[in-house]
Amino acid sequence: MHRVTLSPNEKERRTRAITVLSLLAILIIVVFIVSMNTGFMRLSPREVLHTLLGDGTHQQKLILFDFRLPRIVISLLVGAGFAVSGCILQSLARNALAEPATLGISAGAGFAVIIFISFFPATTAAPVFVLPLLALGGASLTAALIYILAYRKADGLSPTRLILIGIAVAAGINACQLVLALRLDPNNYQFVATWIAGKIWGGDWRFVLALLPWIAILLPFAFYKARILNVLNLGDHTSLGLGMRVEKERILLLVTAVALAGSCVAVSGGIGFVGLIAPHLARKLVGPRHQVLLPASALTGALLMITADTIGRWVLQPAEVPTGIVVAIIGAPYFLYLLAKSKA
Amino acid sequence: MFWFNRKRLGSMKLTMIGLMVMALFLSACGNNNPGNASNAGTEPTTAPTAETTEAPAAPKTLTDAMGHEVTIPANPQRVLGSYLEDALVTLGVTPVAQWSVPNGVQDYLTTELKDVPTISYDLPLEAVTSFAPDLILIPSESSVQNGIYDQLNKIAPTYVIGDELNQDWRKSLLKIGEILNKTPEAEKAIKDYEDKAADAKEKLKGAIGEESVAILWLVQKNFYIVDETRSSGAVLYTDLGVTLPNLVTEIPVGTRATWNPISLEKLSELTADHIILVNSDKTEGSEILDSAIWKGIPAVKAGNVHEMSSTSSWLYSGANAGGKIIDDVLKNLVK
Repeated sequence: MHRVTLSPNEKERRTRAITVLSLLAILIIVVFIVSMNTGFMRLSPREVLHTLLGDGTHQQKLILFDFRLPRIVISLLVGAGFAVSGCILQSLARNALAEPATLGISAGAGFAVIIFISFFPATTAAPVFVLPLLALGGASLTAALIYILAYRKADGLSPTRLILIGIAVAAGINACQLVLALRLDPNNYQFVATWIAGKIWGGDWRFVLALLPWIAILLPFAFYKARILNVLNLGDHTSLGLGMRVEKERILLLVTAVALAGSCVAVSGGIGFVGLIAPHLARKLVGPRHQVLLPASALTGALLMITADTIGRWVLQPAEVPTGIVVAIIGAPYFLYLLAKSKA
Repeated sequence: MFWFNRKRLGSMKLTMIGLMVMALFLSACGNNNPGNASNAGTEPTTAPTAETTEAPAAPKTLTDAMGHEVTIPANPQRVLGSYLEDALVTLGVTPVAQWSVPNGVQDYLTTELKDVPTISYDLPLEAVTSFAPDLILIPSESSVQNGIYDQLNKIAPTYVIGDELNQDWRKSLLKIGEILNKTPEAEKAIKDYEDKAADAKEKLKGAIGEESVAILWLVQKNFYIVDETRSSGAVLYTDLGVTLPNLVTEIPVGTRATWNPISLEKLSELTADHIILVNSDKTEGSEILDSAIWKGIPAVKAGNVHEMSSTSSWLYSGANAGGKIIDDVLKNLVK
């Protein structure tokens, strides 16, 4: 894997990758700016600028710094987290359908959070920092369960079995969630319902702080493991032949993906589809090499989420559409398109 | 953005980019005229009026139901008390915004709250900010869970009345009176109500004696029977001393829940002499009232059904709501 010389082909690939990545970054910045201006209260770009420079009224500061910015930052983090998690899972499972939501990992994380919220309503101080840990616990348990069920000594981890079992486990957890939700009082039920629909509810800097360490550690780690994912994507036999400790690396990467998904679910609820679509989109843009694919997925996911959040905040003013639903509305047609195309 | 539109750029990619451009465009539009989409009358009051420094007569600190120490301004001018409008109106306070859901407001208060803009029941933070309240009153703990309290409290001092007090409008009214320096008004309102109820009780006794009255709420083709614990049931059975109908007395006391769902089949066993029907299905779904079972209920046969519209106060609690319920009772049951 030593890069000796760059073939013209390789060179072109690099420029393309850099182009795509910077384009995504620019788009994110644009949507970021639009998002800061969007909401119930009218804030013109000039007012936003003034407020950012510390010149706004009390109201404007409140809206920008306390309500809008944390939410925007959370959408970015969550989008990137889900996307990278999905990207890793798709490569590990060697299945285009894999993502935290289809594999039941999001459901497991969500279930843990919902159990906690329904039994310890936050009449006391909100246990913001506990939530990612809880979600992580739920996600890990689910992932372990799926792994154990899907693993066969004879033929290792079958991609198809992994997905099927994941879907089954997710369905089971969702059923439990529903049973639990039905027993809640109306207010808690409503919270849980919008939570399941995927509403970014942690709209406050503490949630950013609770989520940031996970993303800041796990994303670079995933990028660092990019080459291993390239090899694993070739299949177990090839990987073994190349001298890789397949099982160890796979579990390490799986844990990374699960931790990313779990911590994101804790603040954003059940937002599916980002983890599915973003890697697909990124793959179309930059190809299958994980060195570029992972960062591209992260950026695409962040862009998708921030766009969805902005749209969700704007379309039905003053009501808000849960971000997860907006993502699904954008995502479903694309997904159908993928299905139709792969059949042909 | 299309300069990197090379051969390999599939049409799908174009579509996605198109979508994103459209999204950008759409949200940019939203930014230019948000007034279109928001409720009429909720024109954001971006009032940069340097925080009205009212003469600091005596701001007081009270502890709310969730244990927060809340500093109440000496003389709150812009109170937001979503779903506490009954109490506010009773105390002569006009809130800055009134509770609403997508399909309506508290209809029985339309006269009192005629010019008051609406705010969504879930209190979107930016909407709350736009009304620039100086005091926020919250009825129930559950609506400000998970950090929402802290965010509201950044906008204005936020006091949670709490479910315990809020279950009894008298206690809640007294508490709100205390917060707003209107304890005498609150006490007077309660006394006026009790006098009115005592007077009506006398008249009712003469008119219907021990005859029982059932309150049924018809909504989305389902019936609910109201018990004596809350709302119109509390007024009718507790305050006016009307006899409970058989189907309510059959519900174990512990499981009574204000709105007890009841099937039409079960209703056929209702022996009440009068039925007060709160009909929220007026426009559609009233065919259930044409069914043979409904028409076979004794009170229906006898023509003793008194229909209240869904805009009446029969589904609400409070001094104002209760007073209007009493008026309705007298109008319908005292001939």
